[in-house]
Amino acid sequence: MRSWLPVLRDRRRYIAFELEAEDRVGRGDLVGEIRAAQTALFGDRGAAENRLRMISFDGRFGLIRCSHLRTEECRALLATVSSVAGTRAAIRVKGISGTIKAATEKYIPQSILQPNENKRRVDLGPVSGSVARVIGREIDLCPDDRKMTKGSGTRYVGLTSFDLCGEDIDADGTSDGL
Amino acid sequence: MNFYECNLHAIPDGSDSASRLALAAKRLGYSGIIITNHTTTGRAFGFDAARLVGGIEVVMGSEIVATNQRALHAKAASLRERSDFLAVHGGDEKINRAACEDPNVDLLAHAHDGRSGIGVAAAKAARDNQVAIGLDLGPMIWHRGASRVRWMETVRRDLDLIRKFDLNLMISTGVKSHLDLRSPRDLVALASLLGLERERAVEALALPKSILDLNRRRWTSVGVELL
Repeated sequence: MRSWLPVLRDRRRYIAFELEAEDRVGRGDLVGEIRAAQTALFGDRGAAENRLRMISFDGRFGLIRCSHLRTEECRALLATVSSVAGTRAAIRVKGISGTIKAATEKYIPQSILQPNENKRRVDLGPVSGSVARVIGREIDLCPDDRKMTKGSGTRYVGLTSFDLCGEDIDADGTSDGL
Repeated sequence: MNFYECNLHAIPDGSDSASRLALAAKRLGYSGIIITNHTTTGRAFGFDAARLVGGIEVVMGSEIVATNQRALHAKAASLRERSDFLAVHGGDEKINRAACEDPNVDLLAHAHDGRSGIGVAAAKAARDNQVAIGLDLGPMIWHRGASRVRWMETVRRDLDLIRKFDLNLMISTGVKSHLDLRSPRDLVALASLLGLERERAVEALALPKSILDLNRRRWTSVGVELL
């Protein structure tokens, strides 16, 4: 490893983030997208000052390293990512820390529940389609009418179990909403 | 702080139900959201369900879409009584000006969609009528290259106007899906790239709450409140 004078060593911050996306996203695609967003927002000169590196990404949670003076800029930069390789996505910054250990322990949950997938039907008057996936109370619905998501560029319609509860035509007649 | 996202579009304008937006906004740290569906498309889907989402206030407002000044004033007058929060879909120079001149209007949304921005006359009118200018950060997120540069130029010019006339400012992203939502801290960081001071941005995110409180007081006549 290259040695460097301790007093000259650059100071770093680690940004823990969660990727919310409509589909699975690979690490390479995400890195490419962040790089492109960075160059578009700051140009080559500003991008060099950020000193951004992807430390880890497991498909949902990840860690990015940046310069300690540019954390706000990096936060703004991550907010401008709206899609990754054609999939609608959003990066949620969970927190910023000075070491990898602290960032991981504080902000990245160690046990991730896999979203349970199913394909149930939902018919609620104007909204109908099949459930693409369920994450807790949140439901992504693949609408029968593709025009429903026109304008926002998303593939799915976002619902919650609250929408399904108490309706006459519940998805399968149960009271849990699904 | 009570941060509110003031310009959300649920189904049929956007692709999410009101409750999904509420749940996503709650997770991002908002204490309230205002659903402002366009007046031309009708009522937001799942609004009653959104009230079941605890820990976040969901308010039904509306966003007036008008093609000319006259229609705008008529719609604003008729919707004022029924609505806690009234926004106007701006962008066009004439509509921006007309919205700023209408004391019934709370927010001029998407003011920088067109090239013109607000301009001096509209800024003065907005100050006199207490109309807040919406800084819609959507283009900053979606656009790249020349179109974003043009948008940033317009916004920077208008931010100078907003400082000069001390106008009310609200920050939003023109949300149409839960993936469009950004956390308050992200919005502050984005706005600082446009030259907006941190304190002002924080103030802008908290402003919808105080406007709502004002609108909910019942005035019987000028200066007389019904308790």
